[in-house]
Amino acid sequence: MQAIVKLQSVTKDYGKGNVVVHALRGVDLEIEKGSFVAVAGPSGSGKSTLLNIISGLDRASSGSVEVDGRDVTTLSRGQLSRLRLMRIGFVFQSYNLLPVLTAYENAEYVLMMQGVPAKERRERVMKLLAEVGLKGMEHRFPRELSGGQQQRVAIARAIASEPALVLADEPTANVDSKTATALLDLMARLNEEKNVTFLFSTHDRNVMQRAGRLIVLTDGAISQNGEADIHCEHE
Amino acid sequence: MKRLVAISWRSIWRNRRRTIITVVSISLALALSVFFIAFADGMYAKMVDNAVRMQAGHLTIENVEYLDAPAIDLTVSDTGDLRKRVEELPGVERTKALVMGQGVAKSGAGAVGVAVMGVEPAIEAVSSPLAQKLIAGSYLHQGDVRKVIVGAELARRLKLGNKSEARKMASFFDPLLSQFEVKIDSLVEDLRVRLAIGKKLVVSTNNIAGELVEELVRVEGVFETGAVEVDAYVIQLPIDFCRKLYGMSARQSTQIGVLVKNADERDDVMKQVRSLVHDPRATVVPWEKVLPDLAAYIEVDGGSNLIFQGIFIFLILFIIFNTVLMSVLERKREFAVLLAIGTPPARLKWQILIESSFVGLMGCFFGLGIGGGCAYLVQVYGIDISGLYSEGMSVSGFAVDTILHARLTPLLLVVMGSIVFGATLLISLYPMGQIKRIRLADVLRG
Repeated sequence: MQAIVKLQSVTKDYGKGNVVVHALRGVDLEIEKGSFVAVAGPSGSGKSTLLNIISGLDRASSGSVEVDGRDVTTLSRGQLSRLRLMRIGFVFQSYNLLPVLTAYENAEYVLMMQGVPAKERRERVMKLLAEVGLKGMEHRFPRELSGGQQQRVAIARAIASEPALVLADEPTANVDSKTATALLDLMARLNEEKNVTFLFSTHDRNVMQRAGRLIVLTDGAISQNGEADIHCEHE
Repeated sequence: MKRLVAISWRSIWRNRRRTIITVVSISLALALSVFFIAFADGMYAKMVDNAVRMQAGHLTIENVEYLDAPAIDLTVSDTGDLRKRVEELPGVERTKALVMGQGVAKSGAGAVGVAVMGVEPAIEAVSSPLAQKLIAGSYLHQGDVRKVIVGAELARRLKLGNKSEARKMASFFDPLLSQFEVKIDSLVEDLRVRLAIGKKLVVSTNNIAGELVEELVRVEGVFETGAVEVDAYVIQLPIDFCRKLYGMSARQSTQIGVLVKNADERDDVMKQVRSLVHDPRATVVPWEKVLPDLAAYIEVDGGSNLIFQGIFIFLILFIIFNTVLMSVLERKREFAVLLAIGTPPARLKWQILIESSFVGLMGCFFGLGIGGGCAYLVQVYGIDISGLYSEGMSVSGFAVDTILHARLTPLLLVVMGSIVFGATLLISLYPMGQIKRIRLADVLRG
């Protein structure tokens, strides 16, 4: 299967001199298109750093990072911004919706940035909001939605443009277990139905079990990489 | 763009109180600046108008050497119907001939140095503020001979009125004086000035040949402008009589004053008048050269006023700067998220600029509305500051009306609005620059 993400010998160091922190230590990784991958590991193991480097929000200290066939280590800020806009969707732990926009407008935001015509935007966003279970709540502002509902809007925003890859940094960390299950169901369904590649970090064992593949990071290096069930047995 | 504008508009109301305080700050600063500038402009315009109407006009035709060393023998002649041709110019209200000299006014009580003004009574009566400031008697009339108009202070110094007669009249009001807190001595002095009408005095001077000449004249009217420099120093005589006193011919004057209809068009009129003056010994000068003290006062006072307004606006701009910067810094994470999902930095910069524009526009709208509205009311109705200047107000020897009117022009509103709005946009540049400095990974991790 074609790899949407390919990392070779990626390292990331923070700090200088004697206080260097090695956040990533020679990570080699391939994520196939259409996969549903969880990245787990204790706090400080490098999960967020890995996602940031894949998305181009941060630069690797060494190694190569390829996303959707493009080496992101060689791209300018503007090119990275364009790559994220066109090919990558984001879901954040704390939703990070624009508070002055309604659910509809938040979900529509990326499409608008891409220059999708208004009529097409409307059709796609209304359909998507219905798919994520927010029909009738299109005109509510984030403050009028629960945490789970806000995260659904965030997921809708992330997949509205049908990106090649959705990166989710602990998407269920701020919601209760019932809502977390519902959100995972939603992501899994979108993965299956729309073939959207999901790469998400998590601490939650239940979430890990739902992943098709589990990557465990320990001290900046991949300690396990394989089927989620295998890992859980080890857990 | 529509959505960007909507986001910007909604964003500024996320911190409603801060936005309102900022808009109110801009509005008040702008309103005060517009009002005080319009007020000062109105005051200066009135001062200039009074001065040029009393003296030698907005433009003065005079001998080329007169400005450097004013002397009675440096004259211009109204030859070839010059005045008539000047008056035909569309921007000219009227012209006036003046004879200006120095002399001594003598009465039985003493002698005082005076500025002798030979004026055309018919013209001065309708154009000079002096004619409107009479407190006793009447103004000069065409054809008057041996008549003089004097200031109240000069009349006092020359003790022209009969004191015992004044005291007799004052005693009539004595029972009422304590009720109005008026002292009998001041009432006597006041009445004495009014009793100067018809009294004789001698005007002594040197004519154009350098000979000492004297004429006896009677007081026709007494004026009081509030400016001691005028009230104690200026006397007006009918110009024909004055010419005779100085030994001038019938068409000779020291100055021909030109009053323009619109002071803002003065420079255009000056060019036209200059084209009509062919006498090489005559020149056309603006009032600023004829009345340099007044011009200097306006320049210095206007300059300091502008500096004050500038500092005021500068301080207010700091408030706006603080508001914009704070609103950017406290939304750093929000901007980081937007950048992370692919929003071009330029779009976020536009958003900040539009937010600043909204705040600036609202401030300008209310500021210009309030300041302009107040200035307009003062332009129409005036403000009476006589309570602050009971003795009258004068600047550089020229009396200033105690009822002051503002002078509001569309240009002032446009310029002030543009300065504040432009400055608001300018100070947004730094907060806009903060977008570039956002380290996405660090901010999103935090």
